[in-house]
Amino acid sequence: MLRSDFRYKGYAGKLLRVNLTAGTFRDEPLSNGLAEGYIGGAGMAARMLYDEVKPGIDPLSPENKAIFLTGPLVGTMIPTANRIGLYAKSPMTNSFFHSSAGGHFGPELKFAGYDGIIFEGKSPQPVYLFIDDGHIELRPAAHLWGMDTNRVQLALFEELGSEEIHIAAIGPAGEKLVRFACVICGCRALGRGGLGAVLGSKQLKAVAVRGQGAVEVPDMPRMKVFLDDVFARFNANPATAEILPRYGTPVLVNANNSLGLFGYKNWQDEFYTEAEGLSGDTMRKKIVKRDKSCFACPARCSKFSINGPGPYEGVRNEGPEYEDIFSLGSMCGHNDIEVVSAAERLCDDLGVDAIESGVAIAFAMECHERGLLTLKDTDGIDLRFGRADLIIPVIEKIANREGALGGLLAEGVKRASEKIGNGSERFAMHGKGLTYAGHSARGMPGFALGYATGPRGGSHHDGRPTGERSGLVPRETTEGKGEYTARINHLMILTDSMILCHLTENIWGPLDITDLVVRSLNVATGMNVTLDEARIAAERMWNIIRAFGVREGYRREHDRLPPRFMEEPIKTGPSKGMAISRQMLDDMLDQYYEFRGWDKQTGIPTAERLKALGLEDVARDMEKYR
Amino acid sequence: MKVTVKSFANIRDILGSAELALDVDAGTTIGGLFAFLTRRYGAAFDRQIRDQMSGEIVPFLVMINETVYRTTTDLGVSLAEGDAVTVMIPFDGG
Repeated sequence: MLRSDFRYKGYAGKLLRVNLTAGTFRDEPLSNGLAEGYIGGAGMAARMLYDEVKPGIDPLSPENKAIFLTGPLVGTMIPTANRIGLYAKSPMTNSFFHSSAGGHFGPELKFAGYDGIIFEGKSPQPVYLFIDDGHIELRPAAHLWGMDTNRVQLALFEELGSEEIHIAAIGPAGEKLVRFACVICGCRALGRGGLGAVLGSKQLKAVAVRGQGAVEVPDMPRMKVFLDDVFARFNANPATAEILPRYGTPVLVNANNSLGLFGYKNWQDEFYTEAEGLSGDTMRKKIVKRDKSCFACPARCSKFSINGPGPYEGVRNEGPEYEDIFSLGSMCGHNDIEVVSAAERLCDDLGVDAIESGVAIAFAMECHERGLLTLKDTDGIDLRFGRADLIIPVIEKIANREGALGGLLAEGVKRASEKIGNGSERFAMHGKGLTYAGHSARGMPGFALGYATGPRGGSHHDGRPTGERSGLVPRETTEGKGEYTARINHLMILTDSMILCHLTENIWGPLDITDLVVRSLNVATGMNVTLDEARIAAERMWNIIRAFGVREGYRREHDRLPPRFMEEPIKTGPSKGMAISRQMLDDMLDQYYEFRGWDKQTGIPTAERLKALGLEDVARDMEKYR
Repeated sequence: MKVTVKSFANIRDILGSAELALDVDAGTTIGGLFAFLTRRYGAAFDRQIRDQMSGEIVPFLVMINETVYRTTTDLGVSLAEGDAVTVMIPFDGG
């Protein structure tokens, strides 16, 4: 049941804390202060993990905690407010990480009466958690251990006697602690950062939720007026009314490739002459069968597909998305959309991040072509760009840590390159341990700064490509990009706290926190936050995440890009010659730290700025690291 | 003068081809090309480039040959005989 005495609407008003070591759980009231200062989702989790997880712990040890959280908008009818977030110290980046997924799990958790679940410790045997409205059970999961994420969901539907249950589950990769294991909710992924390995390390196979409650809002007539306004905007904007519904994210293949900003062969180039085979146009013609929506979203950007005749005939998939097409297709040097779809479905089933998997394979292909990985190292596989037939067998090896190649790549590109050595680090395409997503650093300076300074490194959701890619700001210059990137950071972290989907950022942003975002928060909660107060809250969240990273050793020298992005300009296509030189990056870093009030030498937030954000305790902590 | 319009996704669907040869008036600008296409293809084309609430063309990029232009600042740029114009699509996310 919802907690009626919580100050704000939108929230359930309580969390579930589960001690896996002891096998116990208890309800915990959500504090008003946490909601006011950190809203929900990523912001709230950052504060909780900063307070509860000691610096320096192994992310795969019982000392780490894994938090599922919704935000106050989730479960209302506000479009795109359907996401569930998962938060922990990441085994990829060794710092705070947040990953979120659309679909239905987030709203269902709210309907069951919880804003979130905190998992701590490690279970002595495999378990899963079942929340059935107010009824909570930790159940044995030995019989589910080893199952892929699709089978485990089907098994739980049968075991629990209903398909009206939403499930988040890990696959074999999470159990085997593959560093970039993910968590699958229905067909959507809590994809990045290896948070599936964190659940695996705790022997937590799944979380199953059924809820029949509701999310209360303070003033329903006011909410209806607001919804009319937002839905009208969705219906008027070309991106949300026309393009996302028809082509989804794969439209970006032709968009980015036409600009010469489409990573190809492990980012050796950014223009792929055969990209049409991977395009949204080709995908729609060949394999898309229908369009799908997440809870309360009119955009219908998800595409359900079935492969036609060929080696992967009949494979059904919700996807692939643009990022999968980039990583499992273009980065590996082939343009077979049906291989990509089958490979992405396999990644979901086995529970590995599809971006990280494709980029790891591309990295291994380049290492093999350069003679840095021998046939012995690759278990006899002649890994070469363009070998679409090898993608699926190598994913199976990675997810099962099978053989020399599987064991090597299961550690992720950063650690694999450190093991291989011999200069392979120069083309290990990661930021802070996380591989870059399918958006160009070289062709968009502000976005490159977002990658460099992003607490998640290679994520495309700390900075964003949209402003430069749409022409809202010029992409040729570094001028003003420090403030530009910082303001986008704040839009991202605030919406990740509420939680809204970034795919409709032209409605909600896309360059800064807007009045519409703040109105959505107020209409859902009754908080009556001003635009300035929302910006301060977002900056507070961003700073505590930075402070988390500082405690783990991150400084200015880690806000970098790989040599390939700085020293090897794009070779062909419309963006030929573009790169981000060290000088360009350093200039933008100075701008960024200055705008933020961070120390330019170290990148550590100043005590003055932290205190102004109400983070006096964090300011005291940071003194130890100056 | 003759120009070629290259497109993909929704705009390609409406134009009926990945590359469309057009005969437009000399001196036609990027904005003029959009007006030409709206006259020829009607509201279906207009909905792909213009916010139907504000009436404004939304921000996206256009390439003339291999030079990139912005709808936010460059609608007045003139086309020349033989130009290939790639109409990027207004897009969120990714």
